[in-house]
Parts: sequence; C-alpha cells; structure tokens
Amino acid sequence: MNIKKIELFFFGILFSMLAQLGHAEAFHPGGAPGTQTIDGYNALGPKVEQPIEFPHYTHANVMKINCMYCHTYARRSAVSGIPRLDKCIGCHKMIPEVRDRPRIKKLFWYWDNHISIPWKKVHDLPDFVRFNHERHIQRFYFQDKRPVREVCGYCHGDVANMTTARRVKAISMGWCIDCHKKDHQISKVNLKTTNGPNDCWMCHK
Amino acid sequence: MPVKKQESIDTGERAMAAEKRPIVERRDFLKILGISGAAATLAGCGNTSIESGVEKVQSYVQPEDFVVPGNSVFYASTCTQCPSHCGVMGRVREGRVLKLEGNPNSIISNGKICGLGQASIQLQYNPDRLTTPMIREGGKLVTASWDQAMKIVNDGLGKDSRIKGNEIVFLTNSVSGHQKVLINNFLESYDSKNHIAYDSLSTQVGDQVRENIYGYTNPVHKIKEARLILSFGNDFLGAGVSPVYLANQYAQFRKAPRGTLIQIEPRMTLTGGNADRWYPIRPGTEGVFALGLANALIQHPEYDTTLPTELTESLKAYDKYTVGQITGINPDAIGHLIAMMWEKTPTLVLSGLSAEGHQQGYQNAYAIELLNVILGNVGKTVTAPMENPFPQMTHVNGNYQGLVALNNQLDAKNVKVLFMMGVNPVYTAPAFIELKNKLSNVPLKIAMVTQLDETAELCDVVLPLLSPVEEFGTHLASYQPEAIEIGIQQPLMEKLHAHTKSFGDVLLTLLKERDEKSYSKYPDYYSYIREAVVKSKPVFKSTLSDDDFWDSALMNGVLHVPLKEAQIDKVKIESVNLPKVETHPEDVNYPFYFVPSVKADMRDGRHANLPWLQESPDPMTTVVWDSWVEINPKTAQDMQVREGDILEIKSSMGSVLAKAYLFPGIQPNTVSIPFGQGHTAYGRYASNRGVNPFKIINPITDEKTGELALFATRVQVTKTALNEKVVKDEGPTTLQQGRKLVATMAADKAELSKEV
Ligand code: SF4
Repeated sequence: MNIKKIELFFFGILFSMLAQLGHAEAFHPGGAPGTQTIDGYNALGPKVEQPIEFPHYTHANVMKINCMYCHTYARRSAVSGIPRLDKCIGCHKMIPEVRDRPRIKKLFWYWDNHISIPWKKVHDLPDFVRFNHERHIQRFYFQDKRPVREVCGYCHGDVANMTTARRVKAISMGWCIDCHKKDHQISKVNLKTTNGPNDCWMCHK
Repeated sequence: MPVKKQESIDTGERAMAAEKRPIVERRDFLKILGISGAAATLAGCGNTSIESGVEKVQSYVQPEDFVVPGNSVFYASTCTQCPSHCGVMGRVREGRVLKLEGNPNSIISNGKICGLGQASIQLQYNPDRLTTPMIREGGKLVTASWDQAMKIVNDGLGKDSRIKGNEIVFLTNSVSGHQKVLINNFLESYDSKNHIAYDSLSTQVGDQVRENIYGYTNPVHKIKEARLILSFGNDFLGAGVSPVYLANQYAQFRKAPRGTLIQIEPRMTLTGGNADRWYPIRPGTEGVFALGLANALIQHPEYDTTLPTELTESLKAYDKYTVGQITGINPDAIGHLIAMMWEKTPTLVLSGLSAEGHQQGYQNAYAIELLNVILGNVGKTVTAPMENPFPQMTHVNGNYQGLVALNNQLDAKNVKVLFMMGVNPVYTAPAFIELKNKLSNVPLKIAMVTQLDETAELCDVVLPLLSPVEEFGTHLASYQPEAIEIGIQQPLMEKLHAHTKSFGDVLLTLLKERDEKSYSKYPDYYSYIREAVVKSKPVFKSTLSDDDFWDSALMNGVLHVPLKEAQIDKVKIESVNLPKVETHPEDVNYPFYFVPSVKADMRDGRHANLPWLQESPDPMTTVVWDSWVEINPKTAQDMQVREGDILEIKSSMGSVLAKAYLFPGIQPNTVSIPFGQGHTAYGRYASNRGVNPFKIINPITDEKTGELALFATRVQVTKTALNEKVVKDEGPTTLQQGRKLVATMAADKAELSKEV
C-alpha cells in the first residue's frame, strides 16, 4: 500500500469511528456557523463546561469593563492568569441586586469556603510553547494604542460576545507565524513597519 | 475500484482533500485507539495540539499583592544536600519552587551551586515520597496516622517503659545548627549523650592529622593564593569538602599567573581530570611518595630546617629509587616535582580520601601534611579557620567510629530506642558488620525520612518529614573558609503533602512530653528557630529590631559573624607517625586493588533517588543510570575483556557483578566501582540498579583512628560469559572518539619542570 492509500484508509477508519462515537463537540466537519477556517482547519474549539458559566458578554460588552481590569496579569506577565477570586468578590459585594442569581451564589460559595474556582483552560498551549501575553499587550495596546477588545481578540476572538469563552482561532504554529510575518506599523506616528520575531527560540525555549 | 481512484488523486486534489479533513484532537484519536496515559503524551505537534477544557487553571483566592502568576519570586535558603551548606535562592512561581540557584550573599556558594544542589528540587516532587507515617503491624509496615505513630514512640520512651537515658540512641549523618541543638536537648532530657553521627565517607583520618599538627580539624586551604597544588587524591572539585566554594577558588587559581595542579591518585577523579599532570600511584603508598618528596626537599639548599633532627634522619630511608619501587611512580618524577615546587611558591599540598582510606591512612595523611610544613605553607596557604562563637551549633562530622559505637551498643544489647535521621546504615554499612541482623534486636526503631530507604524499611515507626525546601533550619558548614557563615533555611513553598511534618516539630513534641515548662512557649519549630536566631543578635552587632533582624536574616539567607581571624600558632610534628617503607606484597588470591570511586553527585548513595543525577553522565566515563567496573585498557587486553563484559569482582567479603568500562585513568592492577548504586529500596529511581560496593569492603581499618579503610580492599576479577551494552554518552569508542583530539604524553616522558 502506498502512502496515499494508507492515508485515505486511515481517514476512512477514523470517520467511521468518530461517527459511531458521536464526538460532536470535538469534531466539526463542516464548521459551525460563523466559524473561521484557517489553513483549511476549522478553528472552533469544543464548548468547555466551566464550574460557573461566566458571562463575558455582560461584563465586557454590556458593562464595557476593560478586559484588563479582570485579566490584570496579562500586561505584566507571560501568562494572563485567571482573576483572583477576591477581585470578583470586591465588586459583587457592592451589587446586592444580583446576589441571589445562581451563578453569583456559586461564586460566594467558593469565597465563603476559601476554595479557588476550578476553571477549565480554554486556550491551553503545549508545554513547549512559551507565549508571552505581556509582550503582545505592551506592543499593541500600550504602544500602538489599539482597542483592547481588538488586541485580545487577535488570539481569543470576540470574547465580549461570548458567555464562557471558547476557542475560535487555530492558534497553531503556522497561524502564529502568519501573523509574525505580517508587517505591523511600529506606532501611530512611526510609519516604519516591523514583523514579529521568526526565531524558534522565541517561543520554544 | 476505490484503490484506483485513490491512486489517481494528484497533488492538487490531495491538498483539497486535506482542506476537507476533519479535525480530530490528537488526544481524542489516541483515546479512540485505546492508547492513553504515557502514550497520549505524544500529542503536541501540528495545529490541533492546543487543548480546550482538559486541564484546570485555578486562580488564587486572596493572594499577596506582589503575586503575579507567571512571574517568579525568589527566596533565600540553604542547601542541605551535603555538609558544605551553600546558600541558595529558590525561584518560586505560583507557590511552587521550580529552580534553585546560588545565593550571591553566601560566601560559600558565591551565587553558584553544584548539580547535586540543583537536583534537590527533585526530592520535593519525588513520586515516591513518604506521605503518611507508617507503623509495623504483623511484621509489615502499614500506613498509620500521626497519633498512632507518636503513641508508639511515646510508649517506647514513656515512664512505663522504664527506659534509661543511654538506652536511647539518636543516629544521624553529619549535622549542625539547631538540628543538632534540638537533638542534644532531646537526649539531655533523658540524661543521654548518645547522639551518634555516622558518615560512610568520612574525612576523619585527615581531620585527625590536621587536628594533631595544627590544632584545627579544618584549616582553611587558600587555593587561590597558591601557585602550585599537589593533591594526593583530594577531589576538591568533585566530592570534596566544599566543592562549590573550592571550584570558585580554583577558577581564580587558574587565572594568570596560571597555577599548576598535580594530582597523584590510583584512579582519576574529576579533579585529577583537570590536573596538568596526573600520576597513577599504587593504592596506599601515597604517604611513601610524599616522604620521598620530603626527603628530596630537605636536600635543597634553600631548605630552612625547622623539623626535628630525628625526623629528618628517618626521612633518609625514602630515597627516590625505593619510593619509585614501592609506589610504582618513575623515580625521576620526584626530581621534576621538586624543581617545580621550589619555583612555584607558595604551594599547597592536600590529602584526600583515596590516600587516607588505608591501614596506614593516618600515616599517609601525616606524611602529606608534613610537606606543607616543609614547604613553609603554614600561615600562607594553610591558615586557621575563624573563631566560631556558636560552639553548640558547630558541625559534627560523622565518621565510621559512629557506626562502630552503634555496633558496640547493639552487640551489648544496650539500645532500646533508636532514632535515625539522614542516614541509611543498612545500605552503607560494610557487610561484615551484619547490621541488619543486629538491628532486629532493637525493640523500637524510628526512622525520620522523606522516602522509604533500606533502613526505614526495617523500622517499627517511620515518620514522613518535610523536604528541605519546605523546612526551617540553621546550618553551619563543616568548612568555613572566610567567615563563620550561618545558613538560614526557610520553606520555599508550602508543604506538598498534608501528613508530612517538620523534624523540629516532631522533636519539640517529644521534648514537651519531658519538659513542658521550657518548651511550651514554642508552638512550633518556626517559633523556636526564630527566637534562637533573634537571640543571637548581639553576636552580629546588629542594631535592628527583632522583627527586622529576623526578616533580614530570611531575606539574605545567611548571617556572617564579624571577622575574627585566628592563627596557627604552633605546629607539632612527630616522626612516629610516618608510614613504613615497605613493599606491598602481592596477594595471590586477590591480585587486584579495589578503589571504589566517590561521585560528586551520588556520594554514598543518599542521592540515588534523584533522577537528574542518575541521568547526568558521570564526568569521567559518561555512563548513566548504572554501576560499572573501571579497568585499565592494558589489563583488559591481557584478560581479553571488552567493554560491557560482565566482570565478577570478588573480595573476601563477597562479590558483585558489573559491566566493564575500559578506563585509562586507573592503575593497571586496580579496578573501581562507583559508590551510590545497588539500592534494594529508596524508590523507583534508585532501586534495583547497579551494585553496592560497600558490601565487598574488607574489614580493614586505619591503625590510628579506627576509620574504615575504604580503599584497601583486594579483589579477584573474573570475566563471565555475559556482555551487556554500557549506556553512556560518549561515542562508541572510548579515548577521544578514537581520534587523538588532545595529545597526551606519559608522565615519565614529560619533563615537567620545563613544560608546565
Ligand atoms: S556543594 Fe553541597 S551544599 Fe553546595 S550546592 Fe552542592 S550539594 Fe548543595
């Protein structure tokens, strides 16, 4: 059997197995409506069940809270981290109107018991990839003064229109490199362009 | 035909087909195929390797303000992997210690640490750590609660047990600081003085010589001041008394004007590998060679006689031809060396384990030290250590005499309760002691460990301790070169396992049972250490408040006692201590010398549980994860031994089997196996790997000190029919990949005085 045959044979098996298992979430043959297709790959990740269905829409869109108000580490550290629980509580103590909502009750349950919320990672890169949030935020938000929703959205999509976040970009190596290859204007005043580093060691340390 | 159709797909079509491919998470695919666990770690390449919803990402509930996930915080502490006690800095991220580096405030480490120190992080995350106490029930060790375990300990020690003070023995390795103070306080509360420090690789012989000659066991060796170092088997760059400090000194010694290092030893150590000239010597004859040099030195016109005439007279017997015959070193080497010694002053002469571990070990070390006196090094490159204002915290060096003392008490059936911490005597004691059997007579044996080792497995109660990166402590290194440095050990992270406890907390609990009044004010070990450190403030002439003093001690990681230099004011030499001029008779039954090697990382096997150390190639041979027998290539040729042939090494005490490794850095009639492997317990990384050379050591001791002569065993070497691949880093051929990358010259051909 030559390579082509093996390949098709292999995918044939795979199709039938997946069809039987009905892995609808992990597997989107036609692409869900509104999904981007990048490099021929459907970029929409599976729906992730979170311990609390955090409504990004309410916070970032309706209330217009800057992403970095909660994700405060993104501009200071390689990892964006997850907002500290006392940050949620700090505000929600002041909003008694919503206190009885199931999600807020759950939030206070974690706080009262001093337990950290076991969120699930939605954008979990392999361990051999070092993505640096700080570097990107500093460049595009602080230096270029682009809107925060746009800057975060380069990789995370329009989270402000989501409830719990879901992956909508491929975030593959090719996808990263595509962006790094593009010419980005250095700043609003400096028309010179530069592109992202193309060195293996930049991300694989 | 589907087959034909597939064949007809051209590249363009394939690309289109590829676009229509479904995405399948690689992990899901493996799951579907029933491959999971370790195999699933294959996941990771291609554009589908990003995961969603698999792992958790938990936030802090209420962190300190300075905590930024992803950014590291650094805390100072002290390395406890060896008695050098280097100051370290731990890099901590998200509450986990990830990496240790040297603490620049520490004189000993000067901001650097060795591989052994680096690997200590693996103690913390070792999957085989003991996480709950264990007690013996029905002959077996079973998991228990702390209450159950401590009840057995208290019952054994309590009033009803009618125990007398000296029936309690506390066996440790070398120990210092408040660990030592607490152990002694605990024993004193029972009127016992039975703290026994046992170290299987002790430096006792050399220490005793230095004590007798200079009045100090550990005079400071100023390597960087010397221009020539003559070392008799002292592996100061490898498994020495303070490898990090001395390596730093050595680097400065090698700067212009470049110092010269001459190493004399039967088997090349790491330090030997760095030397300008390396002389192989017949094991045990180092002292004779040193006296050959001494004899030649005093003939020199520049020699300023301060030695007793009786001694200079007796040196005459050590003429270069006799010495050459006994030691196996070309007699002309003496002349070459002497010329260099007079030329390159000041010099420094060091004796090491392989010269001291013989029946005449004391005499060997004495003769070697004599060279320092003759060369006028005392006060220049051999100076007195600083005065230590904390005698109760001083380092106690463990030695073989510790094991002898324990053995005697066991023979007399005098031990009722035996505490053990930081030692594994069942593994390190030579076979002839039969320790395992004798221990079975002790009614209550308590091991305090982080991992079950061979000794803990035999105990009645095993208490799981915190790892060194979770623990408080103070340490005083055995070698204090420039100032008295107190290393402050502090937890770099919270404890990983809920049911592990601090050594100090266990002892304080026991002490409170005896003396509630004095110890009730210390709720825990932390408060005890804190108060002890704060009370020592006047010695440091600090004007800070108590809180600030403590905080600064934690921040700096070290406390330095203001300089108070001492002098070596008298040197005492007696000729009765000289090694005899005698040829070492061949032993027909056991024709080979057995010179085990001490690796800088494994030491006596206490670090075999750390996989980084197992996998890092031995610097001399590049072998990993195993034991091997080093044999000279010429001897191997005579015996028709190839690399990997399994050799049986047999002494009068027993035999071991290991793979041959052809090593030019060893005497022709000598074989060597490194210490450290051959564990039967101690977790997955240590157990059932290689062989334990301690078990074939002959019962020969140093005549003067009674220390075990680790390098005096004679063995038979027999080739078996088996051959196994030696797993090593170097290429298939030894000796510089079969190419002469670095040209070398036999020592007897080299004209040292002209060349170096
Ligand atoms: S020399 Fe000893 S104390 Fe220093 S880093 Fe190495 S193991 Fe630790």
